[in-house]
Amino acid sequence: MAKIIPRPQLSLLEQLYFVEVFKGMALTIKHAVRSLAKPETIPVLNYPEVQPELPAEHRSEHRLMKRADGTSRCVACYMCQTACPARCITIVAEESPDGDIEKRPATFDIDWLLCVFCGLCVEACPCDAIRMDTGKAILVEDSRDAFIANKDRLMDWSPADYPAEDIISQEAPGGLLNEQALAAMQGGMFSAGDVADVADKETC
Amino acid sequence: MEIILFIAKFGLAFIPLSCIAIMIFLERKGASIIQDRVGPNRAAIKIPGIGSVRGFGMIHNISDSVKLFFKEDFLPKHAHKWYYILAPMLPLMTAILTPALIPWFAPISLEGVEVSGAIINANSGLLMLFALGALSVYGVVIGSWASHNKYSLLGGMRASAMMISYEVSMGLSVVGLLLLIGSFNMTDIVEWQAANAWGVVVQPVGCLLFIVSMFAETGRTPFCVSEGESEIVGGFHTEYSSIRFALFFMGEYAHIVIASALIATLFFGGYHLPGLNTEVIHAHTAGVLAGLLAVKALMLALFCLMTTRQKKLYGALKASDKAVRLKEYSLFQIIFGGGALVAVLIAAVLMFIPMDGLLSELLTAAIQISIVMAKTMFFCWVFVWVRWTVPRFRYDHIMALGWKVMLNVALVNLVITAIVYKLLIETGVISG
Ligand code: SF4
Ligand code: SF4
Repeated sequence: MAKIIPRPQLSLLEQLYFVEVFKGMALTIKHAVRSLAKPETIPVLNYPEVQPELPAEHRSEHRLMKRADGTSRCVACYMCQTACPARCITIVAEESPDGDIEKRPATFDIDWLLCVFCGLCVEACPCDAIRMDTGKAILVEDSRDAFIANKDRLMDWSPADYPAEDIISQEAPGGLLNEQALAAMQGGMFSAGDVADVADKETC
Repeated sequence: MEIILFIAKFGLAFIPLSCIAIMIFLERKGASIIQDRVGPNRAAIKIPGIGSVRGFGMIHNISDSVKLFFKEDFLPKHAHKWYYILAPMLPLMTAILTPALIPWFAPISLEGVEVSGAIINANSGLLMLFALGALSVYGVVIGSWASHNKYSLLGGMRASAMMISYEVSMGLSVVGLLLLIGSFNMTDIVEWQAANAWGVVVQPVGCLLFIVSMFAETGRTPFCVSEGESEIVGGFHTEYSSIRFALFFMGEYAHIVIASALIATLFFGGYHLPGLNTEVIHAHTAGVLAGLLAVKALMLALFCLMTTRQKKLYGALKASDKAVRLKEYSLFQIIFGGGALVAVLIAAVLMFIPMDGLLSELLTAAIQISIVMAKTMFFCWVFVWVRWTVPRFRYDHIMALGWKVMLNVALVNLVITAIVYKLLIETGVISG
């Protein structure tokens, strides 16, 4: 059903236009004086000298989480590649030398020119192996190929750049036989029973 | 004496030119402060010993002009070469000529030589001003025609149609004032206002109409139909680049300065301030000068305060260039604060210098020039202020406003003025 919105009727004073113009000018001069007298009220950042504080939930360039032994946490399950709406993730899997882990990525490429930074890959990953919290939001390269990040580049980060108090943003626990994973879980939110339960199933 | 006078008069031509630099700065910073932004402040020059100085965005003027000078001067193949080159010169040329007709100070006598405040103290002063102002539309029209480009032509057509329409109401809006004054001579007009009342008091409607027509004449928002990025690209200057493009804009800004000076002279008393007519200034030159310097010192102190606040603000931020910026802010604190002190000192010293004869004459003229300039700068700011307040009109609205409203109001205003004036004379309230 059509909804009829009555056109606003201008009063005589408004039709005169001049009064409204003066009202508008009073408003703008208020802003001008405020900007000069109280510069702290201007909602402007002196970028790039002053960097914005990104919320923890922001999405920027990806990184692949590392285990303590330096291997990638990714188990090449293709979940992210499947979830990606832009189809910009290309994974080639190979067999992992770790007996508990089936696969690992031989190559892991993300084409940042295609990526829409939706974060679905992060959501999809069952192992928390891929994250988008690097804070690097500006991508500048001089060739198209340079925008395709390979596995080495995605894993080229240092735990020192991430908040130490947020333990899961640091190096991922895990690795050969998951010793750190078990230790971390024991100290964390899981009960001893849980840990024993997953001790031989945990594969990430 | 003659030669010194000649050089001094020649210097008046540079008033609009030097105001252009101020106007560009005013426009950009005015836009930014009205829109709650910081505005341009990235261009900087390195001064040895101090570091990089941004000067609140002043440096952008230099970098812009250098950029425009050294850009490729592009001449399209299809353009009419001669007119294409001629067009950008016209607006600036007329704008540089017009200050010759504006009275910058009351007539003074220097060692027996009578010097009028306007270089050309013609009896047809106002008519010549309007004629010169109307010439600037030729720059737009010729430029758009010579560009041989449909967008340019459309822009030029719209601009010329609008300017010609508003010229009618502009002329009619001052007729009421001229009726009262009875002279086209600009000095007479100011003197009449000094003796009776400012034009804005006796002719408020005429003043409003005149200011609005001036907005249209200069082609400024809300009447900026000659250019429109969304409809006709750049309008008349679509094909222009490099310094020719800059000339068009210098012409526009110079035109604003002239329009402001004209508004100030016709309706806001020119070099006259209430209570400060020529005799008073002449008799108390030192006192008035000290007063002006005190105002200046106050403004500098305010600037100093502003800089201090910004410095404090920046000091609290986590910025990578903090040391450099804080140094610059300190520099400006010293400049503004020191300037305020110097102004106060000069004002104090002035009290003890005897002022008479030639010195007093010259200083009176200087004070009056600064009064006119202050009023002019205020109206320049009004132009900027309105630009960032009022959205632009549609083309047909502009035409309807010009012909159906402004013209009629101006005519009615003229008739009422005439009747009231006649009645007042008849009843003996004022003498004719
Ligand atoms: S952020 Fe979205 S588009 Fe980018 S790789 Fe992940 S799933 Fe694909
Ligand atoms: S979803 Fe996670 S574990 Fe699976 S392939 Fe992608 S990054 Fe690797």
